[in-house]
Amino acid sequence: MTKTENTVIIKGLTKNFDVRFKEAGLAGSIKSLIKPKNIVKRALKGISFTVSRGELIGFIGPNGAGKTTTLKILSGLLYPTNGFVQVLGFNPWEKKPEFLKNISLVMGQKNQLWWDLPAIESLKLNRAIYEISQKDFTERLNKLTDLLDVGNLLSTQVRKLSLGQRMRLEFVTALIHEPEILFLDEPTIGLDVIAQQKVRDFIYEYNLKNRATILLTSHNMNDLLDLTKRVIVIDSGEILYDGYLSELVRSFAKEKIIKVYLAKESDIKKFETIGKIIKLDLPYVSLSVPRESAAVAASEILQSFAVADLTIEEEPIEGVIRRVFKGEMVKQS
Amino acid sequence: MSKYSQVFKISLQDEFVYRLNFVLWRLRNVFSIFLVFFLWDSIFSVQDRVIFGYDRVKILTYIFALMFVKAIVFASKTMDVTGEIARGDLSNSLLKPLDYFKYWLTRDVASKTLNLSFALVETTLLFLILKPPFFLQNNLISILLFIVSLLIAVALYFLILFIVSSSAFWVPEMGWAIHFIITIVILEFLSGSLFPLDVLPKPIFSILSFTPFYYLIFFPIEVYLGKISGGEAVRGILISFVWVVILYLLMRSIWQKGLKVYQAYGR
Repeated sequence: MTKTENTVIIKGLTKNFDVRFKEAGLAGSIKSLIKPKNIVKRALKGISFTVSRGELIGFIGPNGAGKTTTLKILSGLLYPTNGFVQVLGFNPWEKKPEFLKNISLVMGQKNQLWWDLPAIESLKLNRAIYEISQKDFTERLNKLTDLLDVGNLLSTQVRKLSLGQRMRLEFVTALIHEPEILFLDEPTIGLDVIAQQKVRDFIYEYNLKNRATILLTSHNMNDLLDLTKRVIVIDSGEILYDGYLSELVRSFAKEKIIKVYLAKESDIKKFETIGKIIKLDLPYVSLSVPRESAAVAASEILQSFAVADLTIEEEPIEGVIRRVFKGEMVKQS
Repeated sequence: MSKYSQVFKISLQDEFVYRLNFVLWRLRNVFSIFLVFFLWDSIFSVQDRVIFGYDRVKILTYIFALMFVKAIVFASKTMDVTGEIARGDLSNSLLKPLDYFKYWLTRDVASKTLNLSFALVETTLLFLILKPPFFLQNNLISILLFIVSLLIAVALYFLILFIVSSSAFWVPEMGWAIHFIITIVILEFLSGSLFPLDVLPKPIFSILSFTPFYYLIFFPIEVYLGKISGGEAVRGILISFVWVVILYLLMRSIWQKGLKVYQAYGR
């Protein structure tokens, strides 16, 4: 294919918000009413990346890092302060119908379903808005409700549904126009484990079958591990890492894990001088040591103890992601 | 076009969910009509009394016409736009190939249709109960001018609400207060829905006739009653039409600016 397959191109994107500064308490409220003070919050500080068609990318980072802001700019809701943004060849901000017909943004904490009516009514409305033929509509509806297992809930008033049921119907409604790009903001937030799995399976299927591009943010470890190959780590409006999830560990893990099976009982006190003991379940011991001294530590263990088995492993990816969420990651030069 | 006919349908369904709410709202309307009716009825209880150019028949017709015109002009869902902006629900519409302005216009028309059909029933009932002397306009030109002025009034009110609602882009937490002051206090008072505006002192009345408020309620009713007719009516329609254009342009420009500062809250 000669045509470039980049569905999303972002170059040097910045977004500043004017935030009204308000001191705590009633006095603070009154003060801000009389003399409003605005402070500029720099939500994005010049980020750049591209996404190819069919990719499923996870955004990770602590709260307030700029993940949602990025998705909102990509879907045309927010006006970028500076920089270049192109999605499917369009400038999202212009909100051209041809653009809007091919995107969808699902937010785990926002809903588009009409609260007082059964979901089928919202779906019919979307059918009209996106100008979907009756045939396509029926076909897609059957497919989506099957995948998400909600066929029997279509005529129940939305307010009477559980959060998990509602969220799955939100997905049906958001995807009835079969968008090429899907922006998902915390799609599994507040769902129980089973519902989470259903939503995840569905995202996976949708990405595969439609060759849809999917950008998702999540604080759910499993969402990221199950779904994404490529991740973009973002903190304080800057991209810290952009690459394979599997390589995230290699570039960020500061420690390695040494797992030891002892052949006979010995004084385990010595382990404490070598590294940090993570788990102690004799004869099994696991400890974490700084990356660069892993080899030295291992040979020291081999010399000091009667060892039946010893392995050196990478820090588990969960640990790295957890540190990302905590904002413990720093930009690498 | 079927986009907006579907919006119309779902809006009606949505209104029907809160049937009791709706009925009580209509009941409130009936009561307020009763109040105004008996007030003016007692003022004009003396035979052949004429105040401010109104005799008993004309003032009572004013009250009845008021009920009708109010149901058409003031029945509006567009106030909810404030909340949509402040809560970030506006995002839902912005993400779709849908004209937000037309969307609310359609919802408005749905609301008006429903209110109007109820108003028809209420008017008939009240008519039978109160048996007021009612002035039936039979001049075709007056009726035609009345319909035109009514459509303009609907457009004016819609635009005013939309503009007022846009304040939520900048001060989301004060949206309701601004709404209350402008739509409830100023509009009700200046539009002629509490009393015919020509009972006001002449200078104030003249100034009012150049504002859009004058054309919301008072003007259409006066056109119906035939108190404003011919060239005077045409002049009024022209002035109010100019206001429609001005407010439309103003709304577009405010909305453009608003969308740029819109923060799509809710997270």
